[in-house]
Amino acid sequence: MSQDVVNQESETTLRLERLIPMDPEPLFALWIEPVQLVKWWAPEGCEASVDALDARPAGRWRVTMRKPDGNQVATSGIFRIVDPPHRLSFTWAWEDAGGIRGHETEVTVIFEAAPGGTRLVLIQQRFDNRGARDGHRGGWSASFDRMAALAGR
Amino acid sequence: MATPQAPRLDGVFAALADPTRRKIVERLLAAGELSVGDVAAPFAISTQAISRHLQVLERAGLIERRVERQWRYVRMRGDALEPVESWLSRQRRYWTAALDRLETTAAEQTPKRRKS
Repeated sequence: MSQDVVNQESETTLRLERLIPMDPEPLFALWIEPVQLVKWWAPEGCEASVDALDARPAGRWRVTMRKPDGNQVATSGIFRIVDPPHRLSFTWAWEDAGGIRGHETEVTVIFEAAPGGTRLVLIQQRFDNRGARDGHRGGWSASFDRMAALAGR
Repeated sequence: MATPQAPRLDGVFAALADPTRRKIVERLLAAGELSVGDVAAPFAISTQAISRHLQVLERAGLIERRVERQWRYVRMRGDALEPVESWLSRQRRYWTAALDRLETTAAEQTPKRRKS
């Protein structure tokens, strides 16, 4: 991923940043160790269980979240980059009740040591790897911004 | 909790991933409605190729067509970009809440630091 993608927030890229009061190493573990991940992955009231968490490039991951009403929904993907304790990148999609994966995106998490803990940057790019990312490079963000503005009139 | 997206989203993203189709969409958003000939005019590609692009946009639910006598017109559908926008806001809600929980978990596991 190029640096400008990391830095930019646009209509097409979700970017969130947090200062977390924990050093990068243990924080990284909260993402790749099943027993740690289930502590925070699922929304309030839901119970997360890890079906797969093979934290290495090309390794698969899948987490099921069970709602209080018994319904469940899963997220899954493939790890692209596992570079402890600096960077984690994986594909991401919600699955429907039949286990069919929805639109796939790529999530990148950057861990930077900072005073008081770790500066965590989470970037979710909306495009899967079916050629769409090429479209993302040139002017896509700008044109989508214009589109959204025009559509909102 | 975010729910799985409607299948339509994939079609919308795929349709908008092509630069020519994005230009067509921008022109339609700016102009309202255009004849197929007017859509094709600024592009140095065949009318046939434009037709194929319009088909993709129509199948994705982004545009609609209207025929008036021998003229064919296209315009954006009013709800064209809604799936994209609602999908993004669901993702944002999910990750914002997940990072809240991550922060809480981290704080619980970290012994209080001494200011040095």
